Amino acid sequence: CLSVSSPRSAGSIHCEWREFFWNPRTHELMGRTATSWGLILLFYLVFYLFLAGMFVLTMYIMLLTLDDYKPTWQDRLTTPGMMIRPKGDQLEISFSVSNTESWDGFVQNLNNFLSPYNDSYQVQTNDNCPPDQYFIQEDSGEVRNNPKRSCQFNRTMLEECSGVSDRFYGYSRGEPCILIKLNRVIGMLPGKDGQSPYVTCGAKREDSDKIGRLAYYPPNGTFNLMYYPYYGKKAQVNYTQPLVAVKFLNASVNTDIYVECKINSNTLADGNERDKFAGRVSFKLRINDK
Amino acid sequence: WNTESKPNYGRSDSYRVATTQDKDDRSPKKKKGAATKDMDDLKKEVPITEHKMSVEEVCRKFQTDIVQGLTNAKAAEFLIRDGPNALTPPPTTPEWVKFCRQLFGGFSILLWTGAILCFLAYAIQAATEEDPAGDNLYLGIVLTAVVVITGCFSYFQEAKSSKIMESFKNMVPQQALVIREGEKVQINAEEVVAGDLIEVKGGDRIPADIRVVSAHGCKVDNSSLTGESEPQSRSPDCTHDNPLETRNVAFFSTNCVEGTARGIVICTGDRTVMGRIATLTSGLETGKTPIAKEIEHFIHIITGVAVFLGVTFFILAIILGYSWLEAVIFLIGIIVANVPEGLLATVTVCLTLTAKRMAKKNCLVKNLEAVETLGSTSTICSDKTGTLTQNRMTVAHMWFDNQIHEADTTEDQSGASFDKSSVTWIGLARVAGLCNRAQFKAGQDSLPILKRDVAGDASESALLKCIELSCGSVRAMRDRNKKVAEIPFNSTNKYQLSVHETEDPNDNRYLLVMKGAPERILDRCSTILLQGKEQPMDEEMKEAFQNAYMELGGLGERVLGFCHVMLPEDQYPKGFAFDTDDVNFQTDNLCFVGLMSMIDPPRAAVPDAVGKCRSAGIKVIMVTGDHPITAKAIAKGVGIISEGNETVEDIAARLNIPVSQVNPRDAKACVIHGTDLKDLSQDQMDDILRNHTEIVFARTSPQQKLIIVEGCQRLGAIVAVTGDGVNDSPALKKADIGVAMGISGSDVSKQAADMILLDDNFASIVTGVEEGRLIFDNLKKSIAYTLTSNIPEITPFLLFIIVNIPLPLGTITILCIDLGTDMVPAISLAYEAAESDIMKRQPRNPFRDKLVNERLISIAYGQIGMIQALGGFFAYFVILAENGFLPSILVGIRLNWDDRSVNDLEDSYGQQWTYEQRKIVEFTCHTAFFVSIVVVQWADVIICKTRRNSVFQQGMRNKILIFGLFEETALAAFLSYCPGMDVALRMYPLKPTWWFCAFPYSFLIFVYDEVRKLLLRRNPGGWVERETYY
Repeated sequence: CLSVSSPRSAGSIHCEWREFFWNPRTHELMGRTATSWGLILLFYLVFYLFLAGMFVLTMYIMLLTLDDYKPTWQDRLTTPGMMIRPKGDQLEISFSVSNTESWDGFVQNLNNFLSPYNDSYQVQTNDNCPPDQYFIQEDSGEVRNNPKRSCQFNRTMLEECSGVSDRFYGYSRGEPCILIKLNRVIGMLPGKDGQSPYVTCGAKREDSDKIGRLAYYPPNGTFNLMYYPYYGKKAQVNYTQPLVAVKFLNASVNTDIYVECKINSNTLADGNERDKFAGRVSFKLRINDK
Repeated sequence: WNTESKPNYGRSDSYRVATTQDKDDRSPKKKKGAATKDMDDLKKEVPITEHKMSVEEVCRKFQTDIVQGLTNAKAAEFLIRDGPNALTPPPTTPEWVKFCRQLFGGFSILLWTGAILCFLAYAIQAATEEDPAGDNLYLGIVLTAVVVITGCFSYFQEAKSSKIMESFKNMVPQQALVIREGEKVQINAEEVVAGDLIEVKGGDRIPADIRVVSAHGCKVDNSSLTGESEPQSRSPDCTHDNPLETRNVAFFSTNCVEGTARGIVICTGDRTVMGRIATLTSGLETGKTPIAKEIEHFIHIITGVAVFLGVTFFILAIILGYSWLEAVIFLIGIIVANVPEGLLATVTVCLTLTAKRMAKKNCLVKNLEAVETLGSTSTICSDKTGTLTQNRMTVAHMWFDNQIHEADTTEDQSGASFDKSSVTWIGLARVAGLCNRAQFKAGQDSLPILKRDVAGDASESALLKCIELSCGSVRAMRDRNKKVAEIPFNSTNKYQLSVHETEDPNDNRYLLVMKGAPERILDRCSTILLQGKEQPMDEEMKEAFQNAYMELGGLGERVLGFCHVMLPEDQYPKGFAFDTDDVNFQTDNLCFVGLMSMIDPPRAAVPDAVGKCRSAGIKVIMVTGDHPITAKAIAKGVGIISEGNETVEDIAARLNIPVSQVNPRDAKACVIHGTDLKDLSQDQMDDILRNHTEIVFARTSPQQKLIIVEGCQRLGAIVAVTGDGVNDSPALKKADIGVAMGISGSDVSKQAADMILLDDNFASIVTGVEEGRLIFDNLKKSIAYTLTSNIPEITPFLLFIIVNIPLPLGTITILCIDLGTDMVPAISLAYEAAESDIMKRQPRNPFRDKLVNERLISIAYGQIGMIQALGGFFAYFVILAENGFLPSILVGIRLNWDDRSVNDLEDSYGQQWTYEQRKIVEFTCHTAFFVSIVVVQWADVIICKTRRNSVFQQGMRNKILIFGLFEETALAAFLSYCPGMDVALRMYPLKPTWWFCAFPYSFLIFVYDEVRKLLLRRNPGGWVERETYY
């Protein structure tokens, strides 16, 4: 590799590359000597440490400006989302009545989900609040009124869908229960004049004759006002999210039913068109009889 | 014919001229043989031999008759055999090929690759996922659109300048007077065939190469072919072995200035000398422009970085447990993210702007990339005639009263004047005005004298204009002194005389005036006019005459002697019949009046321009077909040979020793004759080019010009060639940048050139160099600016992959930066003024000074880019945190975050979010990241204004840049706040405070770079400069 002056050829290009990686004459690795590499790496190390320091500092200052109990902005949460349980990978409740395995997962899911709602546990941790009015626990000035207490939502309030009387939540009989919950939003007041928001479900478009009769638990499918407002995870550690159960009493079998449930409230705005889960929730129900 | 790869042995032999056959049979590559051989053939000197034959032999060869000419039948036969007498136009590239070249050349390749990768990634996604994200598809489409639009833009830009080119062509069909079957017929020049007997007269263009058989005072202007500015006389005798030098051949497309001649056509069309040169020119391969090489190098670097990053993160992704397909998509995504989408457009616009600016200053650029080439130029090979000189003989000196007087040779008559009161001068002016057949063409009274057209010989015209300028109307003078008899100039007498009546009506004597070759005139004189008094011509005066003659001749000037005598009335009474054929009057014992010498003077602006080139480190070499003495004189006059520098011959003359004893290293300047050049080996040639700073090549043939250019290029120089003649066109084509003259240039030369000086002024080249250097510097800045934002664009995606956070910056916002907000500031950097006097530094070394180098990448990617990325991420974290998602829960949240079925995702405060709700926040983050990049790019564009100076030294005078700052901010605000943007581009309004997140980082960029530049200025050559000066 010494013939630098010789004309370029395939061999010398290969040679150039090899020399670029390690030049034995100048002791250069990739075109730099050890000192040169050392200096540049040291520079970048110091430089990046400084940048990291600066970033941490700005982040720290930013975090200082945040409130521990309430996020700075909630304007994206004006309409709370709604969600159903049980939930698989998709929002699809599809099972065969006769095939236990097809609904066993749903039942397990509901069992797990409802375990914190066991009456014994609720009574132990939460208060029995006066219904149909907000359970307001204001802080007095600078002094925080923490931890805040929460109201009981007992599993038995779901009656037929509590899993107490019917271990299989009606799935074994083709009368499945679906639990509906309203997303938690700190400080949200979902009703006024003592009127609690309630859930109504209906079929979409042509499925209306297939959906059959529905039963709502608690009665009228209400989210009682006493569960609001929510004070956040830090202040209200034991908050229990209220639920509404919908039981499909005689839905058509062997057919896809597109169900949409929505919240009816006199304070919450209708969600925007694009968000299919703000103030409403849609899912597919299919009950096979075999 | 390929310079790069072929071994060089034997090549220099093949140049070696003329009549010798190509002895060595080099044929290692037989396939290329035919084409190669052709080109080598063309490179040899002209193979014409007819000039050495007798007229009869020529007639026999072409089966023609010296009186009758060809028969019509023969002529028709030859026409079919040889084809029409016209140059084959150079193969024009079809428009679609030109368009495709724009579409797929250079930088576009990078974008095409990116687009294809995008489509590939989308195809993979479409095949594997149910609901593929459209990002890759859109990106692919946008990339394609960018390439196509920029391609169209530069195509139309070049089409525009080629239109200007076309307007140069004049399509007047040429006529020729031929004698066929004994009759003179006027035919179209295209129908002339070999063997035709043709007649030309003053003012005609010679229709083909002809062997002169008879001539009457015929002179031809060969300047476009050989570069000689003086018309050459033609006669039937062979005077030189070299067909270009001999008197009995006249060449196609040269002009007959005066007299008449008759000749036999020996070559037509492409076989003519001119045709061979044109073919040689169009057959030459030209290398890539320096900027194209730079862009290629840049693409290498960018591709290297992209592939390195891509592969690293591909491996990381595999390690992190992503599937192969996902990892491949990431790989493609990262590679594509490295493509600076807007840079192609930026570079094109920057070059176009400079091209426009240059066009305004009379440099028309035919090829956009050539804009920068002049800036990299390290050697200019300039033709003399018409480029450095005015291509117009002008009286430069006079010798009378035993003293040399200098005439004003400047174009605008601003030069020095001499004492016009001497009686001798009045006498000299009278002789020069009367013994002169030239006259102004009619109808030009309104034009300045120097601009008027003259009918007649170049030196007589020079005298005419000189006398008209200093003594008023020559016509009136001639009217007052009626011409009685005249003997025109001929080559045996070497003088011209005329006899006139005197002005004084009472004086019945006749005045005889004579001019001619000084030594012949002196021989006929017995007295000399000194201060208006006739004195006997003694030895002392003769010596004084000799000295003056030598001195003027040494200046490369053509010297004429003038004398007169009043014929005694007793011998020549009024009405004496002067017989000019059998001279019956006194033509000796005359009175010598003086000498006048003429030269084609340099253009006024040239010395200054040459000086500027020299201080800019550019070597100016003169290459001319003219004689060495004239060439050297002009070279000294314009500073190509600077004052105090001597050639070997000068040193020999000064020290009075033989030339061979002088150490050639002592002489910085040298003048090389074409015939010597023929005998030089390649090594000797390199030696000359390397060791002499001031070189003049004289008497060079077009082929030799080409060899000189190649020699310079072999030494690594980037060569510019200026010229106007056909003889320059091979060199123009071979040069890295050929510069042709717009007014005086021949079509062939304009065709071959890359740039055209619309005002024919060499000084415009200096402008070109300055603009070229400036655009190179400014392109660096533009690229540094544009590349920097690549890092804040890539890092979000990398972190998205590695730590599974919600995507901080999306494809659309990246495109908004690259093709939106970054564009105007990047382009505005093209308007940036130079930091220092760019004409005082050396030309860039194409091997070391790259457009984009590791240091630029280090600064842009490693330093400024990283700060920018942090600024963007800070804004991202602020928005998420203020909405409830603290940084601590973000890591690893991606799977749930991007899951459409999860509509109760919990944030740090226990609130629950639907998919759409959190996506709006995510897109708001994209918008904020985008705005943050705009904010940090403010600082970036300000620091990119300079590479060494502080912004406080440079100032903020670049109005376009200030406009750019406002424009990008307004655009960012528009994109964020315009209603409907949430649907169209998924960009959301920002809270005012979010605009300020990146401010500290913007400020840091500014401070950091100012400190860096301060260190750079404080320690020239120090570590900071070695590592960060790009």
